Amino acid sequence: MEAITIVLNGVEVSGYPGTTILELARESGVYIPTLCNDPNLVSIGACRLCIVEDERNGALLASCVTPISPGMIINTNSPRVLEHRKKILKLMLASHPDSCLVCDKGNRCQLRKLAAEMGIGLVEFQRIPQSDTIEEVNPFIERDLSKCIMCGKCIRADQELVVEGAIDYIHRGASVKAATLNDLPLEKSECTFCGVCVAICPTGAIMEKDRAYTGTATTMVTSVCPYCGCGCAITLGVKDGKIIYTRPVPESPVSRGTLCVRGSYGYDFIHSKERLNKPLVKVNGDFQEATWEEALALAAENFKRIKEIYGPDALAVFGSPKCTNEENYLLQRFARGVLGTNNIDNSNRLYCAASLTGLGVTVGYAGTTGSINYLERSQIILVIGANPEISAPAVAYAIKRAVKFNGAKLIIIDPRYTPLSNFAQIHLRSSVGTDVPLLNGLARIIINEKKLDEEFVTRMTDNFNNWSKSLEKYTAVYVEKTTGIPKKDIQTAARLLGEAENTSIVYGNGITQQANGTETVIAIANLAMLTGNAGRRGGIFALQRHNNARGACDMGVVPNFLPGYLGVNDTQNRQKFEGRWNVKLPADNGLTALEMMEAARKGKVKGMFIMGENPVASFPQPKLIKEALTSLEFLVVTDMFPGEAVRLASVVLPATSFAEKEGTFTNFEGRIQSVRKAIIPFGDSRPDSEIIMQLSLAMGSPMLYSSPHQVMEEIEEMVPFYHKVSPKDADTMGLEMGEVDGDTPGTRRFYKGLFPSGFGRFQPVDFTPLQESKNGYNFTLITGSSRYHFGTGAWSQRSSRLRRFSPESFLEINPADAKELGFKDEDKIQIISEQGEISTSAKVSNVLPKGLLYMADSFPQSPVRELFGTVIDPRSKTPALKSCAVRLERITADDQAKGNP
Amino acid sequence: MTKLKETPKINLKEIDKIVESRRNKKWGLIPMLQEIQERAGYIPPEVIPRVAYAVGLFPSQVQAVITFYSQLYTHPRGKNIVRVCRGTACHVRGGKTILKLVKQHLGIEEDETTDDMEYTLETVACIGVCALAPNLVVNNNIHGNMNPKKVAAIFGNYKGS
Ligand code: SF4
Ligand code: SF4
Ligand code: SF4
Ligand code: FES
Ligand code: FES
Repeated sequence: MEAITIVLNGVEVSGYPGTTILELARESGVYIPTLCNDPNLVSIGACRLCIVEDERNGALLASCVTPISPGMIINTNSPRVLEHRKKILKLMLASHPDSCLVCDKGNRCQLRKLAAEMGIGLVEFQRIPQSDTIEEVNPFIERDLSKCIMCGKCIRADQELVVEGAIDYIHRGASVKAATLNDLPLEKSECTFCGVCVAICPTGAIMEKDRAYTGTATTMVTSVCPYCGCGCAITLGVKDGKIIYTRPVPESPVSRGTLCVRGSYGYDFIHSKERLNKPLVKVNGDFQEATWEEALALAAENFKRIKEIYGPDALAVFGSPKCTNEENYLLQRFARGVLGTNNIDNSNRLYCAASLTGLGVTVGYAGTTGSINYLERSQIILVIGANPEISAPAVAYAIKRAVKFNGAKLIIIDPRYTPLSNFAQIHLRSSVGTDVPLLNGLARIIINEKKLDEEFVTRMTDNFNNWSKSLEKYTAVYVEKTTGIPKKDIQTAARLLGEAENTSIVYGNGITQQANGTETVIAIANLAMLTGNAGRRGGIFALQRHNNARGACDMGVVPNFLPGYLGVNDTQNRQKFEGRWNVKLPADNGLTALEMMEAARKGKVKGMFIMGENPVASFPQPKLIKEALTSLEFLVVTDMFPGEAVRLASVVLPATSFAEKEGTFTNFEGRIQSVRKAIIPFGDSRPDSEIIMQLSLAMGSPMLYSSPHQVMEEIEEMVPFYHKVSPKDADTMGLEMGEVDGDTPGTRRFYKGLFPSGFGRFQPVDFTPLQESKNGYNFTLITGSSRYHFGTGAWSQRSSRLRRFSPESFLEINPADAKELGFKDEDKIQIISEQGEISTSAKVSNVLPKGLLYMADSFPQSPVRELFGTVIDPRSKTPALKSCAVRLERITADDQAKGNP
Repeated sequence: MTKLKETPKINLKEIDKIVESRRNKKWGLIPMLQEIQERAGYIPPEVIPRVAYAVGLFPSQVQAVITFYSQLYTHPRGKNIVRVCRGTACHVRGGKTILKLVKQHLGIEEDETTDDMEYTLETVACIGVCALAPNLVVNNNIHGNMNPKKVAAIFGNYKGS
């Protein structure tokens, strides 16, 4: 492509054809004011504020929509331009209400800023009062369309970035405005309160509703959202030591200027009154405040005592997928090098250990094989066992953009009908737990119809023949019978998959939390290899639940691997770390999370250190976990909030939130991003990294790191795939991944499509039906995330707006089932399984097929987990937490009065 | 917005058939909307989502299209459409009073429909016969030089619903 040269304010500059004048000006450091332009949105040239003059003919051009052409002589500041700009701005202000002066958008209002820049006073115009506030009851967003300048940014952000389609223009001419369907309040529309339109609106027309969250921040710090595994970049606005808002980051390669409701409105748990702010030690069953020295000394003394009397394996350590890589790295060093045990695990085991195992034995690389950018460019996207709109919104945005704007075709395998189904080419509503036969069946059709990627299969993989033979029994008829999906739909899906140039497969907890999770992941990997989509082109996208789930495992917070998945049994591997830390490391695999609990219950494990986790809320069968923790001689817990584990602890150490510390998180793609300290730690709380180092010191084994950055330097040295990919200086947000994508040896990506071990390996997997429901437990209950809450709810339930908007749990039930049982919305019901029972209220919902129930798991008042047994996936040792058999009973007013439902 | 005591029954099945016949056709939206309006007399808001997903648009986008075209309606309209001109010429010659009188006779406001579905009242900007101002149009018949008497002559017999 030949570059075009133009003259810009007297200087020659050049750019490629198609570049707009505005883009070139920005590249060249020339400022042009804009209102309706945003780099992430398609330009529409609505506001005309960006006009410039072509001096050859005096033409005034909207620079955001005019491409450069040879010979242009552009002046961005000619007297005519300035005069016109002023006129346009004055007209906008003329129809702008007086409330401008007291508007809470304050200095964030672009309109006001530009007016000041151009020397236009706010009061010199007679205003047409036209306040137009819409009655909304949601706690997040308020709209006053009298302040709207019709730049259309909110509409474009809603349709082009988050692709919710909640708002568009309504009416025409003078009465045109941005409205929801039927002009209803946002809470009655498709709006998900992602907050992106609030962030992008240049005026006060769309704003935070709550006055407590408006105002002008004095500092802004870019960090990473602490909730889901997407890892969206967020800007934290700080005023008087408090976070007053978060904003999406337009440059983030993950989120491209978007967030979800949790990222936008779920951060104020940081300032919750319930935060632990002093170390506590238990004296005769009651907590007493202590100094850090006292608390740490007590903890050290007891760990030493237990180690001496019972040996190191009487101790166990729990890491956290919510803490930073640096903290997790230090924690496993503490467990192995200081305590001397491999009894270390993290709760990620509950969510995606099946991925580690399943992908490990097939593609040989235990994680997502592509970046979100690859995903958005795929021709076919297969979503299975995941509801990314809820569990990983930024991924859902990318999928919807791929469908809407890149012509991708979406295949969904899910018993439920979710809003994402509207985007699907084909939706296979399989029965719960039948993913393996379905995937095997799809593979069989692709092989039989010779639509496999033969070249890839022969050159890059082995064990194909064995595997292909194992598929014999998965005939279309058999698959139709087991999955309940019509033969012809399976056929259509198989053809789409087989014929596409590149396919991405996205899966989530719906797969990994099943009892046969590992088998299903293997079946997914087989299908990806068969179509040539592992390690090149599309890829496998394993969604992760927590912000740093990958990181915690990468850092070796697992009982069988040192950092970087180096087996602990291997002498060489151990020597590498022994040399670095100057200490002998234990050689035997440690206990997994559930085994630790079992061992504690039996009195074999006597002392435990839990970092930032409440296993009572995140494990199945909370009663057993409580029993386990109670049986311990000594328990140390670090956390921000008092959960059950904290209450059972001997020593409680208050930890900081993500906004009060430095470090890195690794998102589901494997992208390592900087977390930055925005405010000073609350009360006496300390970052977990400091706590671990101080505890080590108290035990007589100092770890000499001066900062989390220094820890990262060691991680880079010891973990090959963290080499050169971590964000070097805090301002780069981990963006380097774009540069290393795919093609750099030694990074975590596949090098030029090569599998890490040379070959991918097909693995036969067979279908084991889920345990049949029996004894009248005639419904299948599935659980998962909720849009407005997260995890155990420890954070989201303490974020005031999320809590106000979604205060209570509910059970979703199909209309036909509800009718049969006579349930209406909000009826109180009791859910009973073999393991336990809980109460909640009903919500009739047509997303579910008959016989299936759904309930989110982030409501501590109705702990769904009490219903689940501990059926363990044999390969990954993950407890099955996704579905179980239950029956329902109505709670009548009488029952409630008796308090005995 | 028209407030009706009872929305006339619409045949959703029939509308679904129209939607199906034009599913995934790229430029199918406007013809589809026109066909629905022809059948049902208006575009029932409850069909907007199915129309939208059939052509790969959001419901809010389809609403944007419907409300942009003055010939598409999201509420049922009466058998007779009355349009009172509020162009400049008509305005200065008493168009406002004419509108008020018509409202009184029909018992409805602008953009409303009588409960018996007889009349829908709308206003228009200049219909191009300013010489006869003030004007009003009933269906396609222009009534010029309006005055209270003439208004009564046209609507006087209407007893309301
Ligand atoms: S509400 Fe804001 S973003 Fe939307 S069109 Fe109006 S000024 Fe632009
Ligand atoms: S908050 Fe998000 S979903 Fe709601 S209207 Fe704004 S951009 Fe759309
Ligand atoms: S999508 Fe995930 S990472 Fe992004 S804002 Fe939402 S919760 Fe945070
Ligand atoms: S910024 Fe170019 S027209 Fe608005
Ligand atoms: S103003 Fe009424 S017809 Fe022209």
